[in-house]
Formats: sequence, C-alpha cells, structure tokens
Amino acid sequence: MDALYRFLSGPLAWVSFVVFIAGSLYRLLSMGFLVRRKEKFIFSVMSWKYSFRSIFHWITPFASVNMRRHPVMTITTFAFHICLFLTPIFLLAHGVLWDDAFNIHLWALPNGLADIMTLVVIAGGVFFLCRRMKLAEVRYLTTLSDYLLLIMVAAPFLTGFIAYHQWIDYRFFMTLHVLTGEIMLMAIPFTRLSHMLFAPFTRAYMGSEFGSVRHARDW
Amino acid sequence: MKKRRCFYLTAVVVMTLMSICCWRLPVAAQENMTSVDNGDFGRPERTPSIFRHDAHNEKAKIDACNTCHHVYKDGKLVDNESSEDRRCADCHDLKAVGKTPSLRRAFHLRCVGCHEKIGRGPIMCGECHKK
Ligand code: HEC
Ligand code: HEC
Ligand code: HEC
Ligand code: HEC
Repeated sequence: MDALYRFLSGPLAWVSFVVFIAGSLYRLLSMGFLVRRKEKFIFSVMSWKYSFRSIFHWITPFASVNMRRHPVMTITTFAFHICLFLTPIFLLAHGVLWDDAFNIHLWALPNGLADIMTLVVIAGGVFFLCRRMKLAEVRYLTTLSDYLLLIMVAAPFLTGFIAYHQWIDYRFFMTLHVLTGEIMLMAIPFTRLSHMLFAPFTRAYMGSEFGSVRHARDW
Repeated sequence: MKKRRCFYLTAVVVMTLMSICCWRLPVAAQENMTSVDNGDFGRPERTPSIFRHDAHNEKAKIDACNTCHHVYKDGKLVDNESSEDRRCADCHDLKAVGKTPSLRRAFHLRCVGCHEKIGRGPIMCGECHKK
C-alpha cells in the first residue's frame, strides 16, 4: 500500500495534472479550430455584452424560467456544483500539500464547513442518481456512461470523507481517494465532464445569438 | 502564629516540588514524549502528531541530535552544534520568514521529508495525526 501511495501521490499526480491541463487546452483549441473551419459566421455573432449577460443569468439561481419551474433541481444543481468546485481547491489538507511541496499558500475552508460541503456533493450525487432511475423522461436518455460518470465524480468525495474521519481502513481509503481523484481530473477533458470547459462558451454563444440575432432573451 | 507557620511550610514544600519538576522536566521530557506539542498553532486543525521521541530515534537509528535540532549561523548549517534546548517554534514562526520555513512546513519537511526520502515511516496525514 505504501509503494502504491507513493506512486499515486508522486509521479501519477504530475501525470494527472499534465493530462488535465494539456487535455483541456487541446479540447478547447481543437473545438475553436473546428468552429473556425465549419461555422465561421459564429464569430461575427459573438458579443461580449450578450455573452456576459447570458452567463451572468445562468449562474444566478432562479434567474431563468426553467430554474423557477424546477426549484428542487435548481437548488440541488447549484449547491452540488459550487461545493464540487470549491471544496477540492480550498480544502485545508490540499492546501497543506501545496504548501509543503511548492511553498504555495492557499486560503483554506474551515474543516467543519468542508465536511458539510463534501456531504452536499455526495447527497447531490445520490439525488441525480435517483432522478435518473425514477423520472421516465430522464431514464429514457440515460446510458451506462451516465452512471459511471456519477460514480466517478462522487468517489473522490466519498473516499475523502471516510479517510478524513479515519473510518474503517485509513490507509486503504486514503490511497483510493488519491487514485479516484486523479482519475476524475484526467477524465474531465475527455468525457462529458468537459462541460466544465465548454459551458462558458456555449452559454456565451447562446446569449449572443439570442441577443444580437434573434433579439430575444435566452433564459 | 500557627497559621503563619502552616503557610511557610506549604510555601517551602510547593517551591521545592516546583524546582524539582523544573529541574527534572527537560531531562525526562524527551524520553516520555509521545507526540509533538501543537500548542504553538493557536487553534490546531489536526490532532498532535505521534512522535515517541527516544523510541523513534532508536528505531530509525538517528544518532545526531542536530538532524532535527539544528543550528544555523549566517544562513549556514552548523555541523557540530545542536539546539535541543530550544523549541522549533523559537525560530520558526507560523508564517515563513525569508528562507526560514513556517512552523508547519518545517515539521513536515523534516518529518515527512525523511520518511519519503528513505522509504520508511508514515507519509499519510492520518498516520501521524491520528484521531
Ligand atoms: C527526528 C527528529 C529528532 C531527533 C533526531 C532528536 N529530536 Fe529531540 N525533539 C524533536 C522534536 C520534534 C521535539 C519537540 C520540539 C518542539 O516541540 O518544539 C524534540 C524535543 C526535545 C527536547 C525537549 C523536550 C520537551 O518536552 O521540552 C529535548 C531535551 C530533546 N528533544 C533532546 C534531544 C536529544 C538529546 C537528541 C539526540 C540524542 C534529540 N532530541 C534528537 C525531534 C528530534
Ligand atoms: C536556533 C533556531 C532554529 C531552531 C531551534 C530550529 N530551526 Fe529550523 N531553521 C532555522 C533557520 C534559520 C532555517 C533557515 C535555513 C536557511 O537559511 O536555509 C531553518 C530551516 C529549517 C528547515 C528547512 C531547511 C532544512 O534544514 O531542511 C527545516 C525543515 C527546519 N528548519 C525544521 C526544524 C525543526 C523540525 C526544528 C525543531 C526540531 C527546527 N527547525 C528548529 C532555525 C532553527
Ligand atoms: C532522519 C529520518 C527521520 C526523521 C527526520 C523523522 N523520522 Fe519518523 N521515522 C523514520 C524511520 C526510519 C521510521 C521507521 C522506523 C521503523 O522501522 O519502524 C520512522 C517512523 C516514524 C513513525 C512510526 C513509528 C512510531 O513511532 O509509531 C512516526 C509516527 C514518525 N516516524 C514520526 C516522525 C515525526 C513526527 C518526525 C518529525 C518530528 C519524524 N518522524 C522524523 C525516520 C525519520
Ligand atoms: C510524519 C508525520 C506527519 C505527517 C505524515 C503529516 N504531518 Fe502534519 N504535522 C506533523 C507534525 C510533527 C506537526 C507539528 C505539530 C503537531 O504535532 O501537530 C504537524 C502539523 C500540522 C498542522 C499544523 C497544526 C494544526 O493541527 O493545525 C497541520 C494543519 C497538519 N500538520 C496537517 C497535515 C496534513 C493535511 C497532512 C497530510 C497531507 C499531514 N499533516 C501529514 C507531522 C506530520
């Protein structure tokens, strides 16, 4: 277990960050080139004003009709995504790793709050899972990959939670935590998790087209 | 009269006990040490790290005290001196100062650093900061 942990927290940590960053750049650039080759007119439609107006609207809870129509889904989605994003970046233990390794200082969340935010992500995952299995209109669109994606995202949080509290077998869950975290990071550019990269651009495009071409709102 | 004699007697006994303690403590302390005091961190975020001072150093075969209790003069490590009469926190603040690492980083670099380098001893947070 020690040798495995050393490998995961050493070389594989480097590999996963390189894959994540290079993969993300590759996906963004190749999408940019594709658009330029096939749908060049899009660039003429783009507008900063309408882009940011749309992005701003869609990151504000309940600012769109659809969000108001599904309040439970809206609250869950926002809470889930905020916690999913902030917890790993501002977790104290991750900050300690940055500090120890590179002398880089990050602000850290209080432990208790980070614990709650982790539970929010896990609960959100369970909610999305139930939604996929229960709602006919969602189940109809669901494939195995959707379940795998959910598991992939929830796993680092679940194992991290168990490891932090040192439940069951600490060393096992610590090792599994690092592994699942790295798998998720590397998967971001190459799976549908890439909506993390593309969302601002698709939103900006929608906003621009609705704003400057159709003269309508997109929310 | 009786009250006053009682007072003096108590005072003498207390002072004798206190001086014995003060004289004994530094000598006995590292032998009995089972964890690193984390009182300097204000509000500690973790449990104090396990560290059975003498047993650890015996098992790890560390002979030189200044492997940990080091002394720097003019920015240079002094080979044949050691600083076991001082706390790490005497020289290491909670924030890094110039080339002197912060207290937390000093501990981690020294402890986890050695374990990682020689491939023995704990390197996962919860193995040292055990709940
Ligand atoms: C592996 C690192 C390490 C080595 C080697 C080491 N010490 Fe220590 N020692 C510590 C730490 C850590 C402390 C706690 C310091 C603090 O709290 O600031 C300590 C504390 C002490 C204390 C103070 C105890 C107290 O409770 O105040 C004495 C005395 C001491 N060490 C003596 C020695 C002597 C003598 C040697 C060599 C035979 C030695 N140490 C070798 C790490 C080490
Ligand atoms: C007498 C003051 C003093 C004491 C006591 C002291 N240090 Fe240091 N330490 C320094 C200084 C000064 C530096 C910066 C050295 C430089 O200029 O690179 C330093 C650097 C370090 C470093 C980084 C360089 C290296 O040697 O790896 C570590 C780690 C470290 N100290 C750990 C500790 C620990 C652990 C203790 C307690 C057991 C301790 N120090 C006690 C003065 C002290
Ligand atoms: C010079 C190298 C070195 C340094 C410095 C060092 N260690 Fe160790 N440590 C070892 C080795 C080697 C072992 C494994 C000993 C064995 O074979 O069990 C070990 C084992 C341990 C263990 C597990 C054994 C036990 O006693 O339960 C703990 C905990 C530990 N170290 C804590 C610390 C802490 C805390 C510090 C810093 C104050 C520290 N170590 C500094 C080499 C080092
Ligand atoms: C080899 C043992 C060792 C390992 C492994 C280790 N630490 Fe520490 N850590 C220490 C020692 C020794 C101190 C000094 C004070 C103490 O006893 O807690 C310390 C101090 C700290 C502090 C500052 C004091 C506090 O409680 O706020 C934090 C935070 C911390 N460690 C977090 C971590 C995290 C997170 C990890 C894993 C990434 C980790 N440590 C791994 C030995 C260790």
